[in-house]
Amino acid sequence: MRRRRLHKVLQTLLGPALAFCALSAEAAPQRVVSLNLCTDQLAVLLLPPERIAALSFLARDPDLSYVAARARSLPVVQGSAEEILPLKPDLVLAGTYTTRATVALLKARGIPVLALDMPNDFDTIRAQLRQVAAALGEAARGEALIAEMDGRLAEAADAARGSARPTALTFAPGGFTAGGGTLSAAVMEAAGLSNYAAGKGLQGYGYLPVESVAEAPPDLLVADTDQEARPSLAGRLLSHPALDRAVPAGSRLKMEPGLVTCGGPFTAEAVTRLAEARARLLTRPQVAARGQDR
Amino acid sequence: MAPPTLRLMVLPLLALLVLALFALSLSVGPSAVSMRLAVGDWLAAGDSTAAVIFAEIRLPRALLGLMVGAVLGLSGAALQGLLRNPLAEPGLIGVSASASLGAVVAFYSGLVNTIPMALPAGGIAGALTAVALLYALAGRDASVLTLILAGTAIGSLAGALTSLALSLSPNPFALTEIVFWMLGSLADRSVEHVTLAAPFMAVGALLLLSTGRALDALSLGEDTARTLGFATGAVAFRIVVGTALAVGAAVAVTGAIGFVGLIVPHLLRPLAENRPSRLLPLSLLGGAALMLAADVAVRLGGPGPELKLGVVTALLGAPFFLALVLRTRRSVA
Repeated sequence: MRRRRLHKVLQTLLGPALAFCALSAEAAPQRVVSLNLCTDQLAVLLLPPERIAALSFLARDPDLSYVAARARSLPVVQGSAEEILPLKPDLVLAGTYTTRATVALLKARGIPVLALDMPNDFDTIRAQLRQVAAALGEAARGEALIAEMDGRLAEAADAARGSARPTALTFAPGGFTAGGGTLSAAVMEAAGLSNYAAGKGLQGYGYLPVESVAEAPPDLLVADTDQEARPSLAGRLLSHPALDRAVPAGSRLKMEPGLVTCGGPFTAEAVTRLAEARARLLTRPQVAARGQDR
Repeated sequence: MAPPTLRLMVLPLLALLVLALFALSLSVGPSAVSMRLAVGDWLAAGDSTAAVIFAEIRLPRALLGLMVGAVLGLSGAALQGLLRNPLAEPGLIGVSASASLGAVVAFYSGLVNTIPMALPAGGIAGALTAVALLYALAGRDASVLTLILAGTAIGSLAGALTSLALSLSPNPFALTEIVFWMLGSLADRSVEHVTLAAPFMAVGALLLLSTGRALDALSLGEDTARTLGFATGAVAFRIVVGTALAVGAAVAVTGAIGFVGLIVPHLLRPLAENRPSRLLPLSLLGGAALMLAADVAVRLGGPGPELKLGVVTALLGAPFFLALVLRTRRSVA
């Protein structure tokens, strides 16, 4: 069942890619516009800056984007067709679910658009990276990035040996979390952790009440937003007294922002971080003992 | 008119209802914690998971429901008495929205990180501005229409400024939190919120309760009240400040929850023999009961982000409001 679904995903993703191969053989795009945070990051990783005509404005946000530093010197757009048409792009990268009105308009004007879905596992990340690299005429660069990612994953898999599977929970402001079948779940699995939210029966993305978490705390809480500088009610939730007691600072991991917001070669760095955290957790006797029981 | 025994019994009965709802509120939640064990452990200063869930999650929530409902019901009754206007209610006349604005500015500017007291202070400042402005614009014996118009104007301006303040916040999550500030919620509030807001709500409530006799006299007309020896200006001052303190602090920690101050006094007025001095304590209890019941209702909705409290109170309150408008149509027209 899973395999069949994966196959279907690959088919839908590779279909347009094959069409683009023919295109890129003629001329690699020189004025690429990206409209989605996730495609922004792939574009920056694959292309030299002079071939990027614009990125989405979110690419510069250091809390969301892995390439925020490099995006600062590149032009950004909000995503309206009015901004993009004058840039005369020869390829537009977009997300399946974002800026749809703009994408429809650009397509109607005959501008090639490559729309990408959110990857939920490393196989899809590889396939997507190959697809984009091919469309950009940077297949070799794409393969190099994949090799680098696979190297990191292999190292993490090495470190993640052993049967202990401590539980981990990603907790974004507001109690938003990722359950089974999400990229976060795939990252945890690769790092030798089990997804706490999936254990609570959550599939896909959703919310977990603080009370459920306090009742049976996870071994590791992964929070990725720095809330002191930019206050929000949702961010405050992470320092709720009940949560503080249930998951003390030693069981929290502050992940560099942007590693799992989107799927990309950098997602392997999240696996490395989690694998390190798991190794630290297993030095605690009670976690190691609990892990063996499972 | 209700039979005399019922009128005598209504206060203790309401108090019992509030107690029962308070206990119910403590026992509802996503985790299966035995409340008896949790309370026992908490009293023994235990540190078990059940005690933490009870003391840090359920108790503050129930306490806030109790207090916020109480002050909203009470301030509705007091404002209706002062303005001699059946539609006066902190939500409808823009006081809650202005308190939201004050709290939003204090919170998202980061001021609250350094001075926690800035949160209730912001809410109180916002509420005070709105009540004072309303009293100046549509004070004593203004028509229902003037009051509602002035209140709507103040409320929509405050709402717009709140959304502006949230849009300017650098946090990407801030704008989605407008739902909290406009509809209110008791979810995931902590003891810290209770200790921040409770003193102001208590002082405000005492100020409002102290005006009962004066409001009785005022219901006979302003001149009569004056000849009976009540300084009407001082009464107005106590109600304006009391409402600002109570509603401002309440909204600062739970967001604006509408209609409680409208429904409760109207339902209880026949039982209070139309005397404000009896209506004020009844509305205090009635507001607490309504809020606790609504907060239990939003938690029974299953997993996922729960319904905001304002949704429930509006579902109850809006039809009620329409019925009231129909009844007072003659005076509005």
